[in-house]
Amino acid sequence: MPTCDLQTLSLDQLKTGQKGRVIKIESTSKEIKRRLLDMGITPGVVVEIKHIAPLGDPYDIKVRDYDLCVRKADLSFIEVHPL
Amino acid sequence: MRIALIGNQNSGKTTLFNALTGANQKIGNWPGVTIEQKVGYISNGTHEIIDLPGIYSLSPYTLEEALSRAFLIQEKPDLIINIIDATSIERSLYLTTQLMELNIDMVIALNMADMFDKKGISIDIKALSKQLQTTIVKISALKRSGLKELVDIIESQTYIKHQTQSIFRPNVEKIIGHLVSQIHQDHARFIAIKLLEKDPIIESVGLDIDKWIKPLEQSYQQDIETIIASGRYDYIEKVKSQTFVRLHHGDHTTELLDKIFLNKWLALPIFALIMFLIYYISVGVIGSLTVDFIDGNVSALSSWMFDWLRNIGASEWSASLVADGMIAGVGAVLNFVPQLILLFILISLLESTGYMTRIAFFLDRLFKKFGLSGKSLIPFILGSGCSIPGIMATRTIEGQDERRISIMVTPFIPCSAKLPIIALFAGFFFPNYAGFVSFSLYVLSILIILLSAIIMKTFFFKGTPSAFISELPNYKLPNLRYTVRDVYDKIAEFIEKAGTIILMSSIIIWLLTSFSITLTYGVDVDESILAYIGRVFSYLFYPMLGDLSWATSVSAIQGLVAKEQVVSSMAVIGGLSADITEGNVILNAPIYAFFTPASAYAFMTFNLFSAPCFGAIGAMRKELGSAKKMWQAILFQTGLAYVLSIVIYQTLTFIGGLL
Repeated sequence: MPTCDLQTLSLDQLKTGQKGRVIKIESTSKEIKRRLLDMGITPGVVVEIKHIAPLGDPYDIKVRDYDLCVRKADLSFIEVHPL
Repeated sequence: MRIALIGNQNSGKTTLFNALTGANQKIGNWPGVTIEQKVGYISNGTHEIIDLPGIYSLSPYTLEEALSRAFLIQEKPDLIINIIDATSIERSLYLTTQLMELNIDMVIALNMADMFDKKGISIDIKALSKQLQTTIVKISALKRSGLKELVDIIESQTYIKHQTQSIFRPNVEKIIGHLVSQIHQDHARFIAIKLLEKDPIIESVGLDIDKWIKPLEQSYQQDIETIIASGRYDYIEKVKSQTFVRLHHGDHTTELLDKIFLNKWLALPIFALIMFLIYYISVGVIGSLTVDFIDGNVSALSSWMFDWLRNIGASEWSASLVADGMIAGVGAVLNFVPQLILLFILISLLESTGYMTRIAFFLDRLFKKFGLSGKSLIPFILGSGCSIPGIMATRTIEGQDERRISIMVTPFIPCSAKLPIIALFAGFFFPNYAGFVSFSLYVLSILIILLSAIIMKTFFFKGTPSAFISELPNYKLPNLRYTVRDVYDKIAEFIEKAGTIILMSSIIIWLLTSFSITLTYGVDVDESILAYIGRVFSYLFYPMLGDLSWATSVSAIQGLVAKEQVVSSMAVIGGLSADITEGNVILNAPIYAFFTPASAYAFMTFNLFSAPCFGAIGAMRKELGSAKKMWQAILFQTGLAYVLSIVIYQTLTFIGGLL
């Protein structure tokens, strides 16, 4: 039964309106990872996909009560539990 | 006392700065408006207050963050005013936890207090102040409330003084404490934490940091940067849960508007329509009206002035200097003020409503393909007012390559000084299609920007990592007072330029056109000094003009001084060349009779893309960081402009011949 809970996805795999809890940020470049941490994407935080830009990239995600735009490529390094 | 104003981007720092000091610094609803520090004074000049670029962290990521951090550490202000946006309190307090590590007193200004009820926010200020051990004042920078209280606290120095706070878990704090005891410098706690985080700028002074980091990383199963950042946010969440309640999340109006403006199918068509309307209305419709103005009012004023001066006994040359030199030259430029007012209003609205960040957001994918960032759009939009702030706004672009390319292509956007050239030629040679011809040049500039960017990306840049990480602010109604102020400032600057640089250049051009090399006055313009100089250059311009026109060639070169000067110079030479009774007619003057629609379009193209004015060249030099790169940019721009305008002239002439 708990296998479902262990399912993890990368953040860019979530659909618009879907939420996920961040598990960790895999290695993207050191600077970008640092920036994402500074902007509040830390393990345990809940993020929601608000919009995907009309051309498919970047994504507008809701984190810590504000909207943050991040490119899909960088989101693919963020591992989440879908909620 | 020196006071540093620190806060996140778009948190209202500059609005507070303006309100406190009575200054009129530029504000806007997009992250990164302030790119350089500004100094002002409060309390009758006893306290100096410094507005710094907005930052999210003291780990420098972009250029502005590095600047703000360097200021705090090196300049050592006596007090920090940390401005916090309560609607994104967690992110705001993240910076606060870092400021608390510096050995500097701090007061927190909790901004947008007027919005708390509307947003369902309630904050226990006393409890929050106690938790953070910092004085907190509720303010609204926009409504100017709470400012007196803030100033009183600063003046009486009744704020809570700095004291070290332990916010991390005990095992982390233990290591920090140990490191602090070995660092015999100011800001020891800050340095200790930065050392732990392996901050690239702080050097470890013979301390073996790794021996502390490794066990921590192992016990948390995370890397050290994540441990520290998470530690801060854990602390913030704890503080927030005890002091902060928010009933409804998000901003209803913003969500509604984004359903339309960020809609998958509607976003791009709406954007295209808005941009078309902005430039069609300000450049096209109003543009054709102003061209009639030139042939009407300025020439009437000029010939009236000439007659009047002659009647009161002035010599012919002095009357001509005033009428054909000064009035014709400056008037030709001032005619465009009505249309610039409209353009500046529209740009200001794009900036202040929050729509501009949305455009950057949905164009990022496209721009990235061409080696640019979505954020390059901001320099482009600002550049349609003036290239200089546009070039400086590239500082918010994260990728080094993307930033450099953006600096080099921003001058391709028709700025307000190039607009007179476009409006004049489009209005005169394409009277029935002026709006469309003007707009076509904007489209051309976008195409050339994308083309140049991809050329540069392919051949000149190595491909440094890039990113697009940007806050998307809520929509805001534009503040009328600031819009008026913003437009007024820009127009005042334009008029000042007309009254100084353009006036002086016009007088020089009049002198050079009125005298022969033997310094005789009243010669035919074709015998003038300027004609001799111009003939040298006219061969260069022959392939795009189809005529050896010295007058047009020297005018184009004067675009280096200021792009408006092209029009001014053509007006002065045109007026002098024509029989004086015809008045000033610029393009009606026989000396420009060779122009065909094809050469007119080619000439506009050349002026649009060739090296920008000296002011913008200086900005490029500063932002590119070296004179060599600046020269490369100028050569690229001018070379491209030259080839492009020749191709346009030859192609259009060829097609014209077939019809």
